[in-house]
Parts: sequence; structure tokens; C-alpha cells
Amino acid sequence: MAKNVILLTIDALRKDVLGCYGGGGETPFLDSLQNRSIKFTKAYSGGPYTQAGFPGILSSSYYLDFGKTKGRCPPGRVLIPEILKKGGIRTAALHSNAYISSFFGWNRGWDHFYDSMEEQVSERVPYIRAGEINRKVAEWFKRTLPNGGEPFFLWMHYMDVHEPYVPEAEYLEKVDPSLKISQEEMFQLFKNVVLKRDVSSKETVAILKKLYLAQVVEVDTAVAGFFRILESFGLDKNTTVIITADHGEEFGEHGGLSHDGKMYEELVSVPLLIYDPDLSQPVVWEKIVSTLDIPPTITEIFNLPPSPAWQGQSLLPLGKYAERGVCGEAIDKHGARELGDEKEVHYYREGDLKIHYRETDDSWQLYNLMEDPGEKNNIYGKDTTSEYLMKKIIPRIKRFKG
Amino acid sequence: MSKQESLSQERVRELENYIHISKNIIREAYRQFDPKDIRLVWSGHKDSTLTLWIWKETCREYGFTLPKAVTLDEGDPFQEVEDFLARISREWKIDLEVAKNEDVLKACNYTLNADVEVKSLNKRNQEELARIGFEGLERFPFEAESFIGNHLMKSVALNTYLEENNVKIIVQGLRWDEQPVRSDDPYFEEVEAQPLQPAQVRIRPILHISERSLWDIYHHYKLPHVSLYAEGYRSLGVKTTTKKMSDLPAWEQDLENTAERAGRRQDKEAAMARLRALGYM
Repeated sequence: MAKNVILLTIDALRKDVLGCYGGGGETPFLDSLQNRSIKFTKAYSGGPYTQAGFPGILSSSYYLDFGKTKGRCPPGRVLIPEILKKGGIRTAALHSNAYISSFFGWNRGWDHFYDSMEEQVSERVPYIRAGEINRKVAEWFKRTLPNGGEPFFLWMHYMDVHEPYVPEAEYLEKVDPSLKISQEEMFQLFKNVVLKRDVSSKETVAILKKLYLAQVVEVDTAVAGFFRILESFGLDKNTTVIITADHGEEFGEHGGLSHDGKMYEELVSVPLLIYDPDLSQPVVWEKIVSTLDIPPTITEIFNLPPSPAWQGQSLLPLGKYAERGVCGEAIDKHGARELGDEKEVHYYREGDLKIHYRETDDSWQLYNLMEDPGEKNNIYGKDTTSEYLMKKIIPRIKRFKG
Repeated sequence: MSKQESLSQERVRELENYIHISKNIIREAYRQFDPKDIRLVWSGHKDSTLTLWIWKETCREYGFTLPKAVTLDEGDPFQEVEDFLARISREWKIDLEVAKNEDVLKACNYTLNADVEVKSLNKRNQEELARIGFEGLERFPFEAESFIGNHLMKSVALNTYLEENNVKIIVQGLRWDEQPVRSDDPYFEEVEAQPLQPAQVRIRPILHISERSLWDIYHHYKLPHVSLYAEGYRSLGVKTTTKKMSDLPAWEQDLENTAERAGRRQDKEAAMARLRALGYM
């Protein structure tokens, strides 16, 4: 196995927009990586938005394991860098998402942690762009690589797919050259349609999706730029790159936009690639896996023991992976924020069946994803396995009810 | 290392070496620039005061002219800091100028938390608000270290001063270990011109000096500092939003394992502003 590990996460990247997962032509570079990757076709996030998804990716734990902490990283979570440090691995994090910033406590344990919170950003691009993250990563390589041969773990996160969808013209051109819309108009759509979760016009939602796809094109370009940087530092041959998303994005599939407290596939089914330069042919892995499996996979690659607190299992070696159901949880939110009464939403998938629970109206939904991948036909109560699947979720709901 | 104990020979040599590195950066600055084009940004806090002292010592050793210094009046000062600036600029013969956003202070009648009507502000301040994402805002309460206050009272005040005085080179007392965001900063940085911000060169001579080394230098060379550090303040901002983290003097606190800027406010403001812009608030 390779010497260094890089975890590249992309905020709000839907799985189905990637060409290698059946999408259109927006991601030629990411698609090309599958030739040297293990591609997981059924990877799930621990939740449908950043605060709920990242506890799994960075600490192999669920959002509500330590109570309702409003996004703060409680002391009980064991972050990947805290374990890697014990093994002499240098660690760095570079990103631009406030929910995983030092303010919320996610800087714990890293040798180098950059969250961009003191940078000046604009209303239309309220984060540091992927190209700038790449540049900062290159600076970190330049500064630290000559210092010694010890391996490193780098986590980088791109925000560029996230709303407001205000892509540059060159990227929109690649999605739909006939679509003429100014950046001011795009921003108005964000304020008047996305923030209001207004899906009444199918045409407008279709335009929003195109703007989103244009941002996907931009990210694909940034990933290509990042691999060129890897090459220029001679890291392309000895570095494993894990690529995933914290959650997806909704475009009216279930009556909403953006990413609220729902557990449908467009939000919790995420892309997951493990790019390994030593792989001579593509591997497609169809077992159900979770992004909680990422931290133990990283320690496995470094040949270090995982934290006993972690709930996932290593994806590698593939043959040893014991398939089991996956679940996720979040606080119900609609529109822009978590609802004040902190009602929970949960899901659990096993085989082709996926069950949802929403505390707000104490409702259950069950879907057979093989027959109904769009989760339109609720078969809860009609299927004899409902009870079995409910039993998987009920103990999780009861954690806070005494 | 506390104030009372004396430092080992080896440690003193280390500190001398750190100062030597800083002096070399300052000498490089004189090779490249005319001192009349340079301003030392001096808050009176520990980092910029150390920078000023090393700069002054370099001038004494090499016969350079000391540039002017500029301090920011953000409208919410500690009296102790104001007194310190007045006393030290006299004792060290510093030509100190003040940069402030008078327009905002007038609009709130020089009163903290008083409302500022955006339309009563000048065009520049209105444009600056739009630039940081507050287009269409009608009023805001005046605070020096809110997201808006930080921009108008710090960035805009300094940029306006630099433009009016045609200054293109500033000296900043930043340190790499102060906060993670600083760990990428170079000693000399050319910043390209942006809308409302002229091109600048930023010189940062003490980047490599850690918080621990800084206090050891203060004590070894008996340098003056604002009394607030002895009372437990570890990092100073404006008065209303800076808190003591402990009653121990700054140098006796656990510098290595706790955050230097924990008593400061703007990190939270920055995170909240980002979330607002992403549609979460």
C-alpha cells in the first residue's frame, strides 16, 4: 500500500452527477480516476448536511452520539489526527466550511489546521475557492516535505459545489451554452428560490440544477489541478486519495431544495472512491458501506490500530469487510436552520430496503430501492420486514428519551 | 519560564538568534524600500511592541531612520493601552499617527452599541458594507469587533489612512503560532490591488517568534508592556469584547496547550457570517 493518505471531501456533491456514477459529462477528470480506484456504489453518509455528515467522516461517530450539541465537536469524539499522531503521522487539514471550523472545535489534534475563517470572502462566493485550497496545500507540501520522510495524512475539503449557485461563465458554458443568465440573476435565484425552498416552478429548479452542475464542472477542474500538484511534488506514485462527499443536494425530488433534515438518496447516498496508484485495474464494490468506515480505513492503510471508540470498520482489505446495515441521523430542519425543538430524523438501509423515521410527525417510510430508487412509493406497513427494520432504529431514537 | 527565574545560557543564545533573524529581515527591508514609504502598525499590544523594539534596535545598530508608526483607533480602547502608547512613543521617540474611521464613529455619536444608519454613512463605507455581503442593510449596532465593525474600523480605517498618506509598505507584528490561519504567512508579502484596497507590501519580522519566546524576550531584555498582560489578559483586542482567560499573568498560563486568542471575539463572528452567507441563518 501507498505511503501517504489524502482525504478529499466535496461539500454537497451528489453521487449521481458524476459520470462514473451514471451522470452526464461534467466530471471527466473524476471519472478518469476510476481506472485506478475502488469505486463504492452504495456508500452512505451518517447524515444529510455538514454537521451530521462530518462526525462520521472524521471521527467514525454519529451526529447525535454525544447529545444534541448544535454542531460543536464534543470532547468524546476521537478525530483521525488524534490517532495518527500516536503513529508519527503528520496531519494537516485545509478547508473553508464554518461548520467544521476551529470555532466548532474541529481543529483538535491536527498539526496544521486552516479553516479560512479570517479571510475576506464575498456574498456570492462565501468561502475560499477550491483553486485557492489547492494553492495552500501546495504551500504546505513545499514547507513540510523537505523536513523528513515521515508519511502524512492530509484532509482537504472543497466548498465550491455548495449554494449560492453562482458559477463562472466558463463552467456554465460547458453545461448549457444556451443558458444566458447574469451572476446577479443567479444570486437573486438563490435568495428568492433556494432560500425559500420554492419548488413551484419546474423550469426554475431545472436552471438551478444547471448552475449547480456548472459548479460541479469547476470542482472537477480543481481536482485535476490538485492531481497535477501531487505529480509536481512527486507524490502521485505513493499517495492514496480517498474522495467522498459529506452529503448530496436536493432539486425538488422530495419537495425541497438544498439539504434539509431528510434522509432520501439524493442527500445521503454519496460518491466514494479510493484512488490507489498501485491498482492496475478498476475495482467496483457493491456492498453497502458507510462514511463512518473512512477513519478505520485510514489507520489500516498506515498499519495503525483504529480507535476503539470508532464505529465503522476498515474498507480494506475488501475481502474482510463484513457487510451490515447502515444508518444515519440528524436534527429535522426545514429551510435554513435546525428546528428549535430538535426533533430527530433517522434512516436505516439493509439489502434493498431503506426505512426512514421522522420524529416531528412520528412517521415511518419504507422503500424498496431496487424497485423504487427514487423513494416515491412508501411501502411501510405493507411489507412484513417493516418491524425488523424499525427495531434497528428504535434504540437509536430512545437514546435521549430516558 | 516565569519572570523570576533566569534563563539558561543556551536559551538566551536561542532568543538572540530569533532577534538576529528579525533584524536581517528588517535590513532586507531597508535594502528594498525607503523608510518614508513604510509604516509600522503598532497597536501597543505585545507583538507589535516587540516588532517596534527590534526595528528600533536595528536602526540604532545600522544607522537607519526609524519609519513612522500608525495605530488604529477602533472606538473601543482600553485606557491602559492608550496610556502605554502615549508613554512609549514619548520614551522611544516614535512618530505615531492615528488611523480611524471617523465617519462611522460620528454616525453612532461615538457610542458603543448605538445604531448606525447605513444611509448616513459616506459612500466608501456603504460600498465596503456591500463588499462584505451586507448590501441592502439599513442599520447595525456599533461594535468594534463584530464582523462589520472589524471590517470598517480595522481594514477600512487602515486602508484609507494608507491611501491618503500614499503608504504602500506596512510592518505587521504577526506570529506563526498565534493562530493556525497565520501559519502560512511569509515575511514579505506583496498583496495585489483589489477593489477598495490598494496594492501593498506587508513585512512581518517576528513571524518565527513563539508566544513563549516572546515573553522570554520581554523579561530578559526588560521590555515594557501593557499592564493588562500581568493581570491575565493573553491576547488583546478592543475593550468590550476581550476577556481575561485567567488571573495568572499571560506568561504563566499554559501557553503550549491552550489557545492564545481564546478570549477574543472575531473567530465566532467570522464563522457566523459565513454560515449566514451559505443560507444557514
